[in-house]
Amino acid sequence: MHILGVYNIKGGVGKTATAVNLAHLAATEGYRTLIWDLDPQAAATYYFRIKPKVKGGNKRLIKGKLDLDEVVKATDFENLDMLPADFSYRNMDLRLEEAKNPTKQLLKLLRPLSQAYDYVFLDCPPSISLVSENIFRAAEGLLLPLIPTTLSLRTYQQLLDFLEGHRITGLELMPFFSMVDRRKRMHLDVMKSLPDTHGELLKAQIPYASDVEKMGIHRMPVQAFAPKSVAASCYQALWLEMQRRLG
Amino acid sequence: MPLHPISYLLPDDFDLQQLKSSFKESYGLREEVPSKVKLTYYDSFDWRVWNAGGELHEEQGTLNRLCWHSIKGRKEPISQTIDQSPGFAKDLPAGALADLLSSVLEMRVLQPKVHVIQQQQTLALLDSEEKTVVRVVLEQNSYASIDGKQSGPLEGRIVLKPLKGYQSDFEKIVAHLKAIKLRNCGQSLYQDALQGVGIKPGDYSSKLNYRLDPYASADSTARQIMLDLLNTLEANVAGTKADLDSEYLHDLRVATRRTRSAMSQIKGVFDPQQLEPFKRGFGWIGQVTGPTRDLDVYLLKYDQYRASLPEALQGDLDPFYDYLLNHQKTEQAKLVKKLNSPHFRKLIKTWRVWLEESKADQENTPNANKATAKLADKRISKLYARVLKDGLAIGPDSPAEMLHELRKDCKKLRYMMEFFQSLYPKPAIRELIKALKVILDNLGEFQDLEVQAHSLEDIGSEMLKEGAPASALMAMGVLVGRLFERQVTAREEFVNLFAAFSSEGNQKAFRKLFGGA
Repeated sequence: MHILGVYNIKGGVGKTATAVNLAHLAATEGYRTLIWDLDPQAAATYYFRIKPKVKGGNKRLIKGKLDLDEVVKATDFENLDMLPADFSYRNMDLRLEEAKNPTKQLLKLLRPLSQAYDYVFLDCPPSISLVSENIFRAAEGLLLPLIPTTLSLRTYQQLLDFLEGHRITGLELMPFFSMVDRRKRMHLDVMKSLPDTHGELLKAQIPYASDVEKMGIHRMPVQAFAPKSVAASCYQALWLEMQRRLG
Repeated sequence: MPLHPISYLLPDDFDLQQLKSSFKESYGLREEVPSKVKLTYYDSFDWRVWNAGGELHEEQGTLNRLCWHSIKGRKEPISQTIDQSPGFAKDLPAGALADLLSSVLEMRVLQPKVHVIQQQQTLALLDSEEKTVVRVVLEQNSYASIDGKQSGPLEGRIVLKPLKGYQSDFEKIVAHLKAIKLRNCGQSLYQDALQGVGIKPGDYSSKLNYRLDPYASADSTARQIMLDLLNTLEANVAGTKADLDSEYLHDLRVATRRTRSAMSQIKGVFDPQQLEPFKRGFGWIGQVTGPTRDLDVYLLKYDQYRASLPEALQGDLDPFYDYLLNHQKTEQAKLVKKLNSPHFRKLIKTWRVWLEESKADQENTPNANKATAKLADKRISKLYARVLKDGLAIGPDSPAEMLHELRKDCKKLRYMMEFFQSLYPKPAIRELIKALKVILDNLGEFQDLEVQAHSLEDIGSEMLKEGAPASALMAMGVLVGRLFERQVTAREEFVNLFAAFSSEGNQKAFRKLFGGA
């Protein structure tokens, strides 16, 4: 089972779209896939038309009184299941702090699912917190959408510092440019200079595209309503490159 | 508890529009694009998946997927993507399915049994968010035999597929379909398809399971037993020749041994002169199939051999594996020639003709017209008395020869008990066969370990001639040592095990079932 976090400290960078589209591509290829919407805003849950409700919320979940398997919902797509978001996730940090091994709770929860799924995508809330640290310790790799701006790069550096400071190693970092607008001078400049200093950067890029925004109208992954769009082919490229990177 | 799809028979007067409008009261509807899927069902030659209460199919798509459904017990299906058609469990990608199949199949290879072509039209039932909560699938399926020679349509089905997390909707639809009197399918799609191609699941088993008539003449019963053994032997010839897995040859050899035992132990029934050429013939089959079987056994045991060595030496054993593999191929090729020979074919053919000519009335032998049960009692009690006498004569210092002889007699006794078991109360005879098996396992271990150790020594010297490195021979030396150690243990255990076997209680039970002093 591959566990992948889709993460950025900053919000609004295309995390949810990435998690939803990659999970959908994995499932289309026949991999048994789970997407876990950890963001209390519940955008991924909304895209799959599922009600954002987990019985008992994160309280029961973290106390170990609830099997993840009990709260999983099938999406409309074959092989793709979802763990919906719950509004109580906003307090997840507090709950984690009360637990015994606060940084490894997610891993503990996910472990029993390893026979049931080939891929698990975690759609992470922005910010850096105990939840994020749990994600870093549970995941094999992190997909990091970066808007090519200086501010965005700064937050990426913050993440690298955090990982180093907390001695989190062995995590496959996969930053890639997201919401790329080729009309913007700054985007082009940043995209030109970053690869020199960050070899881990993926080549695939996701453009700023209306088809991605339309996911909210169609309430489904891009591939499902616009399979021939540029956005769909960009996510496909990202999916392939991610698989190669994971080996 | 996981929910499972439920299949209903598509009624002749089925009205799709009516069904749709009945759903519309509570749900939105979306018709999905019709799809066509090809499924290939797999099992071993001796139906181990089926016997374990499972069904295993490969679904071909962008990714091929192997999927196990439990028929007994309501467990969730287990599946695994595969990049080549399934064969041995050990060659599957690691995971839950590989683990399950390893224990179910052991050394047996999977073979395709039947194809099913599924044409599906799916109706998605939607909630207020237009999210699918239940799928209703209309299936028009057809079957095709593996050789492509037979095919045909199967009865239409309506399959209700639950979605995880939407249990109450599923239950509502189940109740609805019950109310409109749809009938559940009596059997699975796999069973339907097997029926289509005329295959009965479980049609082959190497186990003896006769229903004998105690009053039938010994002649006709003996022929019935031997004919069945011949059927088993013949059923395994093609698989042995193709060397699909090692079990075909094994079953072929067991059928041969049982036949020889029946010939010699069901005494006074056939004319010894007529039987003689067949006795020689079956002896010959045992002989020519031996070398390949020996190498098969070493290959099957190889992992265990390797693991019994200290870790530092394990890698040194690899040339031994290569030797086994190469020589198994050579011996297998020789074996195929023998099985293709006119001699083998004629032997099998004349044996069948001879068995099918029932002529008890003309048989000029003392027991041909005796009642089966009477003869069985007599033979079994006699063999048991011999086993008891010879076994009890064995002490800690008795020569190995005595144990080997005892093993032969125990085997004869076991075969006779198995041939005739339907004549006796089931639990009682099973219990005694089980007790006998404990002794046979011990004696088998004692003898096989010795034979293995000696032939490993022979193989070692041959490998030396073929230029194997000294390290390999040294590792084999350690292995031989291990085998002898285990043999000593088996020898030590014998006395106690035989004491248990020959206990007063068992003796009484034997006497009660088979008579005798």
